[in-house]
Amino acid sequence: MSHDEKVSREMQNAFVDGQLDAADWTLLVERMGSDEALRREVCELRTLKDLTRSAYAGAHSGRAAPAPERARWARVAAVALVFALTGWLAHDALAPGRILTELRGVAADRILVHIASSRGEVVDPALQEVEDYLSEARAAGRQVRVEIVANNTGMDILRANTSAYAARLERLRAAYPNLTYIACNQTADRLREKGAQVKLLPGVQVAPTALDEIVKRMQEGWVYIRA
Amino acid sequence: MRMAGLFGVSAQFRGRIEAQREPLYRLAYSWCHDAGLADDLVQETLLRALDRAGQLNDPQRLKSWLCAILANCLKDHFRRARPLEPLDEEMPAPGETPEGASASNQVAVRVRAEIERLPLGQRQTVTLVDLEGFSYAEVAEILEVPVGTVMSRLCRAREALRSRLIDFAAQENYKIRSIR
Repeated sequence: MSHDEKVSREMQNAFVDGQLDAADWTLLVERMGSDEALRREVCELRTLKDLTRSAYAGAHSGRAAPAPERARWARVAAVALVFALTGWLAHDALAPGRILTELRGVAADRILVHIASSRGEVVDPALQEVEDYLSEARAAGRQVRVEIVANNTGMDILRANTSAYAARLERLRAAYPNLTYIACNQTADRLREKGAQVKLLPGVQVAPTALDEIVKRMQEGWVYIRA
Repeated sequence: MRMAGLFGVSAQFRGRIEAQREPLYRLAYSWCHDAGLADDLVQETLLRALDRAGQLNDPQRLKSWLCAILANCLKDHFRRARPLEPLDEEMPAPGETPEGASASNQVAVRVRAEIERLPLGQRQTVTLVDLEGFSYAEVAEILEVPVGTVMSRLCRAREALRSRLIDFAAQENYKIRSIR
C-alpha cells in the first residue's frame, strides 16, 4: 500500500483482524492519524467485531451438561484401548460385502451399525450386510449380537410414519431376536420441536443420544461400523 | 497402524477435544441459528472426529480440523434436508423481533438476527474470524475456498452488518472503542 493509495475495505478488515504485515500496519496507523473518516470506519469495524463476539457469548448447548460430558469423554478414552484389542472398523461408506469381510478378520461377535442417513445407498447395503452377517452366524452356530443405531435423517427408517423399511426391519427383528434397533432421542426431540410426530416402529429402543450409545457400546467391546 | 495411532492419541486429545465442544456448538449455532440442529451437528462432528482420529497429523491443528468437519457436516445436512442454502444470497429478515427480547439480551438478539440474514458463506466466514479468531488462511482451508474469497466475503458481510447495526449500536449506547 502506497502513501497516496486509498485504504480499501479489505485492508481495513485485515487491520482489525490482525492480518496485515508490519509495514502495512504501520502505514495504516499513520494514515488514521490524519484521516478522521478512516479512523471512524475502522472504529466501526471493531465495534462490529465486538458485537459479533458478544452476540454468541451466551450460546451454550442446552443438551450437554458438563458433568456427564466429562464422563462421556472419559469413556471415549477407554474406548481407544478397546479398539486396540478388538479392531476399529468405522468407515465413511459401506461397500457391499465389506462388513462380512472385515468382521471375519476380527472374529467380532457384537457389532453396532450406525446409520445417520435415510438415503437408500446407505441403508440398503447396511441392512443387507446385517442380514447376511446374522444369517451366516446362525448357520455357523455362533452367538452374536447386532445393534442398529440411527440418528439424523437415519432416524426416518425407525419412524412408523416415515420409514420406507418398516416391513423389512420388522421381518429382520422377528427372525433375529439378537438384533436391536436404537433411536437417538436428541434427534427425536429436534423433530418434535419442529412439530413432527415421532412414533417409532415396534420394538425400537431409545438412547439419550446416538453418541452416548456408540461410546457406551464401544467401551463394552462392541465393534463400531458407520454405514 | 491406525489402531496404534488411536491408542496413542486418545488420552492426549481427550481434554482438548472436550474443550472444543462448546466453541463448536457456538459456531454451529451461529451458522444455523437452530439449537437442536447445532447439537446434532456437533454430535456428528465429534463422531466423525472419532472415526478419523488417525487423519489428524498435526495436533496443533485440532481446532481448525474440527471446524472443517463441522462445515462439512452442515454441508451434508443441507444436501440431505433440502437444496443447498445459497452461499451468496441474502436471507429474508427473520421473524423474531428485538422487541420480543428482554432488555438484557436485546443487542445479542438483534445482532444474531442480522448475522442470520447473511448468506451462509459470509456467515461462516465472519463467525470463524470473529468468534474463533482464525486467520484468513485458516478460514480458507476450513471452508475450502481461496483466501481472496474469504476477504471478499468478510468485506461484504461487514458492510451489510455495518449498514444495519451501527446506528442500532449507537442507540443502544454500545461502546465504540477508541483505537488510539
